[in-house]
Amino acid sequence: MMELSQIIRTCNLKSVVVHEEEIEIKGFYTSDLLSDVMAHCPEESLLITVQNHANTIAVATLVGVRAIVIVHNRAVPDEMKLLAEREGLALLTSSDDQFTLSCRIGGLTDNFE
Amino acid sequence: MADPLKNGDSGLAGTREDVPANEPLILIEMIQRLKVRDVMTSELAAVERTDPLRVAQSLMKNKKISGVPVKEGGRFLGLVSINDIIQALEGGYIDDPCHKHMSTKLVVLEDDMPLSFALRYFNKYHYGRFPVINREQQLVGIVCQRDINRALLIELTQEFNRLESESVSHCVPEDPFNLYVLREFPVAKYDFENAGKAANMIRKVLKEKKFPLKDIRRVAVAAYELEINLCVHSDGGVLTWRMSKGRVEITASDSGPGIEDVEWACKDGNSTAIEWIRSLGFGAGMGLVNVKRVADEFEIHSKPGSGTTVRAVVFVEPRSTDHRQHDQN
Amino acid sequence: MTILEVTELLDGRILYKGEAAEVDFKHVVASDLMSDVLLVDEEDILLLTSLASDQVVRTAQIIGAVGIILVNGKLPPSSMAEIAAELGITLGRSGYSKYDACVAIHEALKK
Ligand SMILES: Nc1ncnc2c1ncn2[C@@H]1O[C@H](COP(=O)(O)OP(=O)(O)OP(=O)(O)O)[C@@H](O)[C@H]1O
Ligand SMILES: [Mg+2]
Repeated sequence: MMELSQIIRTCNLKSVVVHEEEIEIKGFYTSDLLSDVMAHCPEESLLITVQNHANTIAVATLVGVRAIVIVHNRAVPDEMKLLAEREGLALLTSSDDQFTLSCRIGGLTDNFE
Repeated sequence: MADPLKNGDSGLAGTREDVPANEPLILIEMIQRLKVRDVMTSELAAVERTDPLRVAQSLMKNKKISGVPVKEGGRFLGLVSINDIIQALEGGYIDDPCHKHMSTKLVVLEDDMPLSFALRYFNKYHYGRFPVINREQQLVGIVCQRDINRALLIELTQEFNRLESESVSHCVPEDPFNLYVLREFPVAKYDFENAGKAANMIRKVLKEKKFPLKDIRRVAVAAYELEINLCVHSDGGVLTWRMSKGRVEITASDSGPGIEDVEWACKDGNSTAIEWIRSLGFGAGMGLVNVKRVADEFEIHSKPGSGTTVRAVVFVEPRSTDHRQHDQN
Repeated sequence: MTILEVTELLDGRILYKGEAAEVDFKHVVASDLMSDVLLVDEEDILLLTSLASDQVVRTAQIIGAVGIILVNGKLPPSSMAEIAAELGITLGRSGYSKYDACVAIHEALKK
């Protein structure tokens, strides 16, 4: 378990929509398939994905994701920002790809456990 | 003119049966497909009806031909042959107008007859050449055996090149840089089972030919993205792979539905793909961006309602300058 | 590290062993979108994906990947292994989630 603020700082994430940095992240999931997110993503988690699409927010909300990181610094469409805003989800971007960011965060959790 | 199909001769010209069974199928197909107009010489040396035979004689001498057609206002009237000239010289009437001595009982060919007709005529009549007329009875060309041989040779060479490019993986030309390929792959809408096969095949061939890996990758990425776009977004289309002298061109062409806003579609992340397409691993809106990135030349034309054509060109280095080919993969 | 070693590390199984099974991969791509995979400009890629589809194998061939590991315990359709064999691409599978697989590979590479 770790705080979102910690991840933002050490992984150099860019905040797009963040209501509250001091939230607990209890799990991590890397996927670009919404059906997978729906089926397997842990609750109160951070989702690493390339899917910069409003549907991602919809699915994330359903399974209880707390923060979404869009990789490759991909532009976030307004529709997605609006929905994140409305659903109270943290939305961030990273210049890393899925593997690199997962490893970075994996390294952090190591140190914290 | 007489219909050769009705002359009671058992060999039916224009049908498969008139060709000996041991003739290669490619040739049979060719002489059925090619028309007389495809092989005839149309830059005609001809004389007018009232021209003296002397004019025909000098034409024959200058052009090294053995027969000159005679016409009047474009209409074909007859033929003056070397024989006619010899007789005219002997008989001292070389200054007579051509129409007085030309042969008029002539066998002519029509320009839209298949080549098989022409071949049959050569066998049957033993003339060196046949005048060719069109439907309006106008003289449009002349055909001699040599014209046919040349046309068949050209066709055969092209056919051979095509076959070679099809079985390109089975033979090894000395320099892959000189490899010539023209292949078309039909791509059906939503046929995810087969989509991508063409790109895989193209990559495999280029790799076997030991092209530089970096270039192979660029061609393959463009081909795959365009092939998948045909499958996902179009009503079906054709992916064309052209290659000669190290210039590799991949073209995706379809006839619908077209793109509303091409500029928007070419921008990173923009996609009209719906959720089930995304669940198949497509629709990130990165495809055209990828094609642009890997291509040396990129062109897209689209019109809603009429279709889309995307062309990507990759220039491949000649083999001698490549050092990466020893790498694995 | 090779894809064979990674598969073992991830308690997985090799479904088809292709040409490059013993080649050390130089780069890992963890993605489920094909255009995202094609974007990568690296050699000798190991592809981690949870997309169980033929197109993953076709895409892997396009980029000359050393192989694919299908994560998340996904069962590949039988056609997937057939195409892997046809294109000579190594295919493995593992029950690890993609995130856990990334972290485990990273850990192993550090050693
Ligand atoms: N052949 C085509 N016919 C009609 N529309 C097309 C065609 N090719 C592309 N498009 C349009 O252009 C958009 C962008 O295409 P592009 O390949 O960049 O992304 P995508 O196919 O949507 O997603 P990805 O390629 O990342 O899987 C498509 O979403 C589609 O709307
Ligand atoms: Mg596309």
